[in-house]
Amino acid sequence: MGLFDRFKKKGIMLGAPVGGKCINVTEVSDPTFSGEILGKGIAVVPMSGSIKAPAAGEITTAFATGHAVTMTTEEGAELLIHIGIDTVALKGENFSMKVKEGQKVAKGDLLVEADMEKIKAAGYDTSVIMVVCNMDAFPSVKCITGKDVMPGEDVIELGK
Amino acid sequence: MKQFTYTITDELGIHARPAGLLTKAAAGFASTITLDSGVKKGDAKKIMSVMMLGIKQGQTVTVTAEGPDEEAAAAAMETFMKENL
Repeated sequence: MGLFDRFKKKGIMLGAPVGGKCINVTEVSDPTFSGEILGKGIAVVPMSGSIKAPAAGEITTAFATGHAVTMTTEEGAELLIHIGIDTVALKGENFSMKVKEGQKVAKGDLLVEADMEKIKAAGYDTSVIMVVCNMDAFPSVKCITGKDVMPGEDVIELGK
Repeated sequence: MKQFTYTITDELGIHARPAGLLTKAAAGFASTITLDSGVKKGDAKKIMSVMMLGIKQGQTVTVTAEGPDEEAAAAAMETFMKENL
């Protein structure tokens, strides 16, 4: 390690909300997400239905339908975690929201428990999407994709 | 200042996708555009702010545009809401 490496700026890291194959959000089958209209980020083809906090922060929206959560991390990143595509239409079925608005969470805390088998059986894509909504505050959103990840493993590096 | 009200007819309300599209529709205007659900107010140009309103079917939203292009901004928002919400 060189003398200056310790001064190298490391970005803010966000962990995978669930384990599975991590892809770029541009690769999902929903044009609103793949067009990055909700923000840049990743999607995980999940191996489990336990959706966990990617970083420490505060829950800003806990959708009544259980299919999505928004949070602001301690560093100010506004994240949307959306479970499955078009799953708002399930109206809460197969989703159990584990957090409340205003609740502080630590990285790895359980946010939502989803029954992925039932969601899949109902005909939905179960990809778990995580995007950064306030890209104006974080112009650099680097996604670490194309591999299998464990829950909490670094998948996004944010830079100001 | 230009203002209008709209009652949401979409049965799913303003969830993630419509919030993203609404923000995109609002982004091009110089005016500030505010959504008021009667409970909370939000900035139409910020996705998180729009989602946090948690607007549901049957709720009436007051949209206010204020700035140099407020006429056009309010008209665009009204068109967007009628077509999508």
